[in-house]
Amino acid sequence: MFSDLEMTTQIAKEKSPRDWPTLLGDNARTAGQGLRPLGSPEKAVWQFRTGSAVRSAPVLHDGILYVASVNGALHAIDVAAGTSKWKFEAAGQVHSTPALFGDAILFGCDNGKVYAVDRHLGKKLWDAASQSEVWSSPVVRNGVVFFGSADGKVYAMDAEKGHSRWSQELGGRIYSTPYAAEHQVYVGCGDGKVYSLEAASGKVVWSTPTGNGIDSSPAVTENVVLIGSEDFFVYALNASTGEVRWKYETGLGIASSPAVSGDFVAIGSKDGLLYAFDLQTGQLRWKTVVGEVVTASPVMADDSVCIQAGATLALDVASGKVRWRADLGGSIQSVPVLAGDTIYLASLNGEIYALR
Amino acid sequence: MDRRTFVKAGCIGSASLLVQGLDPMMRADSVPVMPSVELHGLPDYKPSPLGLPGLFPGRVVEIRDQNAIVRNRISQPIVRRMLEQAMKELTGETSVREAWAKFIEPKDVVGIKINPSGAPACCSSPEIIREIIAAVRAIGVPARSILVYDRYSYEIDVGSYQALLPTGIRIVGIQDAFTSAIAGYEPTVYCDANFFGEWETRSYMASIVAHEVTKIINVPTMKDHSASGVTGALKNLAYGTFNNVARTHRAPHSFTNPLVGMMCTVEPLRSKAVLHIMDGMRQVWHGGPLTQVQNFIEQPGILLVATDPVAMDTIELEAIEKKRREHGAPSLWQHDPASITPDTRVFFHDASKNLFFRQPGHIVAAGKLGLGVADLKQIDHRVL
Repeated sequence: MFSDLEMTTQIAKEKSPRDWPTLLGDNARTAGQGLRPLGSPEKAVWQFRTGSAVRSAPVLHDGILYVASVNGALHAIDVAAGTSKWKFEAAGQVHSTPALFGDAILFGCDNGKVYAVDRHLGKKLWDAASQSEVWSSPVVRNGVVFFGSADGKVYAMDAEKGHSRWSQELGGRIYSTPYAAEHQVYVGCGDGKVYSLEAASGKVVWSTPTGNGIDSSPAVTENVVLIGSEDFFVYALNASTGEVRWKYETGLGIASSPAVSGDFVAIGSKDGLLYAFDLQTGQLRWKTVVGEVVTASPVMADDSVCIQAGATLALDVASGKVRWRADLGGSIQSVPVLAGDTIYLASLNGEIYALR
Repeated sequence: MDRRTFVKAGCIGSASLLVQGLDPMMRADSVPVMPSVELHGLPDYKPSPLGLPGLFPGRVVEIRDQNAIVRNRISQPIVRRMLEQAMKELTGETSVREAWAKFIEPKDVVGIKINPSGAPACCSSPEIIREIIAAVRAIGVPARSILVYDRYSYEIDVGSYQALLPTGIRIVGIQDAFTSAIAGYEPTVYCDANFFGEWETRSYMASIVAHEVTKIINVPTMKDHSASGVTGALKNLAYGTFNNVARTHRAPHSFTNPLVGMMCTVEPLRSKAVLHIMDGMRQVWHGGPLTQVQNFIEQPGILLVATDPVAMDTIELEAIEKKRREHGAPSLWQHDPASITPDTRVFFHDASKNLFFRQPGHIVAAGKLGLGVADLKQIDHRVL
């Protein structure tokens, strides 16, 4: 099914509805677009205890759910039974969401390394070092893995062996997960700027300042870069030039990342609201209170937007009204995995749930 | 209001301190008896002359600029100017660098104790932390010798400190949420007391405080606190440096008085805490420490700077009391049982309700332990 497994080059509709191989479903950040309507879950099919807090999002491929817990363990969970298939122990805490590439699963570690682990066996394939913690999720495109580090650099490495291609120092710590397009890589930075880098060389193509640091990860669609900033604004930038096409002010800083489906954009704010916009105009379609604080990213399933904000909620795309709410997944940092009729949730306290 | 505190035996350090007494504001028929408290500091630790109450006992510098925070956004250049001016006033130095050099040397490992509880609505502002980091770096302290820390890493995440602070420094959340493990804490430095029959009666000091940092710059926020009255310099220093502290308050009772001050006496915390910079950009007058309700959060744009946490908290307490009076809310000292609610939703939206009988007397109690000046008349309060 995954002939080359580089999900960056694969639109969501081409992948199995039961796969969710990277942060927000695929590297196009469509976040579930194309999935069938998300029904209200009625029960927990299974519950898995990782034994440590989980502050990243799970990913799913070929019936295996991969979850990194803060204590450094990468868990492979058989979703049919809810049991452990293997566990890999990294030499540091993990806050990075794993990403799949071929037979490897990649993730960053607080010891500054990015690990590639055999997804079948749980054995390390390679690791590559930066100078500080890696919380961003590695992104693979055209055989190159891109990630940001708190050392202030974006790294590009050969995804097969972990050999360095280039690194580019920016002006602040990087916790934003890059978006890798065919020729450019987009990323937010703690210095408050959104950067576009040449994918081949790391050279800065453009940078656009915002009013405070950036914790959010960009989505790119129709030549528009969407991202939130701690300056309270959602930005839509021209992907070619960095020019601001529109921006919208929320009530507090934004650490959430946008999810996109056609002309529909959703993003959360620390003011506790989920906002929906028109991609082209920036016009607000609706905003809905979903929790006290929102830092996680929404995901989409055709006619629903789903988000973890203390509880897990599904909202109607058209109206923003809450369709259902599950008081599970008590996290404001993780992102649910929507896989057909099953939803997988990671909780701050380390519990993983399969809801159906 | 005062608490009658009886020091029965011992001294601070490797020996123990036993404290008993009841707050006269508490109803005797409803208050559990204050248990004895054992404090175990780092053995043979030599106290520093910079330790609490520090170089300038009783002195508090207050600086206010209404343009420092506008529509909840903080101006980096204005905060920089305010901090520079306040540091010079506190120390009497004419140069900013010399002012900081009173406290920090290039060889120091500097811990910056933030208060991320209540993020994002009200927490230690990253803009202020950036200025502190810049000032410490200007003294010659390498970036890797600067640690920004607090107890819960998830609260630090919500504040996005990781993304917003400069490269090179370390940001340490000592423990993850909901774990009782003591990894990250020094097992021989602790406070032991059984308040409500809890199974774990010890609170341990963070290892980075016991062993790694040589100086601590404390950055509390300006907030009402449902259990302790206010959370200021003393409480931010104690609760967060020590673990397992929520056990000191069980509704409606709270033993934050006298425990907050007692914890601050434990070495090496007392010696290492050389400077306190209170972030009053935002001011929570009800619902602290965790409220996200903007109705109770004002934006006065204040910084307080002191080496004496007792004097600083006394000024803070007066400010929060004044604000509550302006809004018609009951005093922090009020102990009317009718004001107590078990419902956090009611508490968060009704300024006349509270979860505990607040204990602002912890500040005076800390003064009696020698940590600073609690008498307003004796405080050298300099307003710039």
